[in-house]
Amino acid sequence: MEESNSCFFNLEVLNSLTEDSLHEIIDSYNGFCKASQSLLAGSGDLSVGPDVVSHVHALCKHRLRSLVQDHFLRLLEETFERNGASRFWRHFDPYARVAGLSKNDDLDIDEDEIQSVLYNALEEVTLEKQYQEKCLLMVVHALQSYKDQMSEDKDDFEGERNYLTSKYQWIVSSVLMATLPRHFPVILHWYFKRKLEELSTIMDGEFCDDASKGKDAMDLDEKVKICNKVGEMDVDECYNDHRFSENSRLVKNIGKIVLDLRNLGFTSMAEDAYASAIFLLLKAKVYDVAGDDFRSSVLQSIKGWIQAVPLQFLHALLVYLGDFVSYESTSSGLKSPLAPQPSSCCPGIDTPSEGLVRWKLRLEYFAYETLQDLRIAKLFEIIVDYPESSPAIEDLKLCLEYTGQHSKLVESFISALRYRLLTAGASTNDILHQYVSTIKALRTIDPAGVFLEAVGEPIRDYLRGRRDTIKCIVTMLTDGSSGNSSSSGNPGDSLLEELNRDEEIQENAGVDDDFNTDDRQAWINASRWQPDPVEADPLKGSRNQRKVDILGMIVGIIGSKDQLVHEYRTMLAEKLLNKSDYDIDSEIRTLELLKIHFGESSLQKCEIMLNDLIGSKRTNSNIKATINQPSQTSIEVGDDGTSMDVISATIISSNFWPLIQDEPLKLPEPIDQLLSDYAKRFNEIKTPRKLQWKKSLGTIKLELQFQDREMQFTVAPVHASIIMKFQDQPSWTSKNLAAAIGIPADALSRRINFWISKGIIAESHGEDSSDHVYTIVENMVETSKNGGNTGGTQELLGGDEEEERSVASVENQLRKEMTVYEKFILGMLTNFGSMALDRIHNTLKARMVFKLVPPEKEVLHLYKSFYLVYEISLEIRLKSYVKNLW
Amino acid sequence: MFFLDIGVSLPGYVLCLLKEWHAVASWTWDAQDETCGICRMAFDGCCPDCKLPGDDCPLIWGVCNHAFHLHCILKWVNSQTSQAHCPMCRREWQFKG
Repeated sequence: MEESNSCFFNLEVLNSLTEDSLHEIIDSYNGFCKASQSLLAGSGDLSVGPDVVSHVHALCKHRLRSLVQDHFLRLLEETFERNGASRFWRHFDPYARVAGLSKNDDLDIDEDEIQSVLYNALEEVTLEKQYQEKCLLMVVHALQSYKDQMSEDKDDFEGERNYLTSKYQWIVSSVLMATLPRHFPVILHWYFKRKLEELSTIMDGEFCDDASKGKDAMDLDEKVKICNKVGEMDVDECYNDHRFSENSRLVKNIGKIVLDLRNLGFTSMAEDAYASAIFLLLKAKVYDVAGDDFRSSVLQSIKGWIQAVPLQFLHALLVYLGDFVSYESTSSGLKSPLAPQPSSCCPGIDTPSEGLVRWKLRLEYFAYETLQDLRIAKLFEIIVDYPESSPAIEDLKLCLEYTGQHSKLVESFISALRYRLLTAGASTNDILHQYVSTIKALRTIDPAGVFLEAVGEPIRDYLRGRRDTIKCIVTMLTDGSSGNSSSSGNPGDSLLEELNRDEEIQENAGVDDDFNTDDRQAWINASRWQPDPVEADPLKGSRNQRKVDILGMIVGIIGSKDQLVHEYRTMLAEKLLNKSDYDIDSEIRTLELLKIHFGESSLQKCEIMLNDLIGSKRTNSNIKATINQPSQTSIEVGDDGTSMDVISATIISSNFWPLIQDEPLKLPEPIDQLLSDYAKRFNEIKTPRKLQWKKSLGTIKLELQFQDREMQFTVAPVHASIIMKFQDQPSWTSKNLAAAIGIPADALSRRINFWISKGIIAESHGEDSSDHVYTIVENMVETSKNGGNTGGTQELLGGDEEEERSVASVENQLRKEMTVYEKFILGMLTNFGSMALDRIHNTLKARMVFKLVPPEKEVLHLYKSFYLVYEISLEIRLKSYVKNLW
Repeated sequence: MFFLDIGVSLPGYVLCLLKEWHAVASWTWDAQDETCGICRMAFDGCCPDCKLPGDDCPLIWGVCNHAFHLHCILKWVNSQTSQAHCPMCRREWQFKG
């Protein structure tokens, strides 16, 4: 054995060895082996010490110093492996099954048991290690004392010892690591988790206690106050508590275990374990506090909790471990710029150590990230109840400022939108409301509107594909009160409010009316352009310019403001024509607001429409006054008590109104008479103007009197005409009735459904199979349909049920107007062979300056229909265009 | 009133009491032509200088029975140095009483 060892030496040295010295070496080596063996094996018995020392000296004499070191270290390793490590691990064998479990699972292990096991095991292995260290030190001393004899140079002792002890440390940890069972980290993690939970309940109690002291005085900003309290909590207040002792005992326990683990070389593992336990605890806390409640801000209370619980613990732990190197945390550049207030970093700790600051930053970042993830996942819900959930939005904004993970928000929100909102099942109204809320909410988070752009894109695209989008938008614009959208009747998200708000902001809109508005808009956009602020300074002025304009974004869905105005006009016409009192105050207000936003010229026609109503009111009272005085007796058509008093009229300037659908209708004789009198009077007052009645339009309030009941209705002229025919004759065949009223039979059967559904008229088959007989229902008993409505007032616009509109729908109007363009486009195609869509559109624009040019979409539509009709003749010419299309 | 009572008492009959009949009408100028010969805008509309049709932008007839927007013909008459003529028939322009 010694031969093999000796061969590391210079071979010439071997030659110089005498027989004696060889024997001496062998003897002392054997002696050293034996002595050290017994030294390490002996439990605490240091009696063989001097033996070892003499042998070491002997070996050193023969320059076998490294042999001594190597041999002893190997011996230590073997012994530790045998005695320390294997015994240490054996303690944990009963828990081997937990290795497979994930960290979050609750282990059903007795808490005290595992604590004591861990404690005992660590104690034992530490003792063993300490003993071995003592032995090592002895050898070191022996080596050193020899060295001292030989030469006087002393300086290397420290180095020698450090070298050997660190080597030993390495051996210990490598032995342990090499034999590490898989369940040990889990056990550690579990242990720390339990301990921390225990600790946090204690500290939480303190936290809450503290809060409840001031609870009487608290009301709204309860949580803020709590945080302030925590922030102010100073050393005395915190540590005077009797719980402190328990607290510090716990911390000491944990600290001892951490220390032991460190000694064994498990520094990083221990840190991992308690760090993950802390993070787990923090996560649970965030989930607990934040939850599904979006109505209050939680960020402050979470921050307060971080300072109150985990940071206190870490502080105590770090102090215990002696890591407390009191750097001036504020002086160095170590401090992250993200740390908001260095002074309030850790309450009760005067000079937070660098480690603690790092921990604080880590914990806060983690808290921000957790909260942010939580909020982003629920962003859809948050936005659904937006105005109430603004605290949650504020929280999210702060989190995002800290973490900068905006892209996460965009991605997750878009997918939520796709999944939950942009489906066939969602009503356009709801989508629009959500869109508006989204704009408002994201405007808070990101005033520059960059992310809003990304999020809004899919919604806009989707809405463009819906036919009723424009209608819904206009309804939202004009209906201050919930109106049609009663389902989502949140007064907060009416666009009218936005109009109101914009009133102050938009001073110079609509100044240059004769400018082409699209060009103007483009120019404004161009002059305002700013690069998208990826990391832009949030305090720069650019964000003021990039003000997120809700109305602009809404109009952006439609494409052009002309279309919106057009739709608005149609709806306004509808609304005005159904009015029987001349009360248009709210419409005037809306129009004024719209004028501010969209410019006066585009809403000229709407203004004329409103003006017509005002004029009608004046004219109406004028006519009534003059008609009643001079010839009262002759006018009074006494037949059934109807007089001029019941008549009123809306007189419109038809050129400025949308296309009005007028159907022929024979009104009841007395009414017709009254109307023509009215028209005559108008002609007299306003010569040379005359009236043309739109007989099928209007609103009639009437009361039906039966033998046993009375009912009130608000209906259209057709319905009134129908029911009035039944005054003369209780039953009619459909043909006769249709002839009497002057409408086609199929129209009649449609209209009369109104009365049938009300239980006033019954339908039965006549002799002729195609002919129906309508009869007045004599008493209520026969009509079970009508339920409890006897004698009640029924406020129902007759037209509504049958989806009837006095104004032609925008689509119909467009189609009519399109015929002009059809010819144009056809002509262009014949001349040029093929043209791109935008070129066609531009040409149309250039030619038809006075009229509303259809949007590109409509042109495209026309194009497609041509394609079908003129397939053969145009096919070849269209080909290049078609290629662009599909 | 007696009549009403009979109406009500007869079974199978209904009596309609009109509370209110709000009708809709459109007005138009009672002129032979559709558009103003000067500005080529519809009579029922208004002349290019006006915003509101109707009373604010009336028609006027000459003795030759040609009608124009008042504002249009006034402009025309004022622009003529000597006696103005009807733009349509070149007869001497005079407002119809």
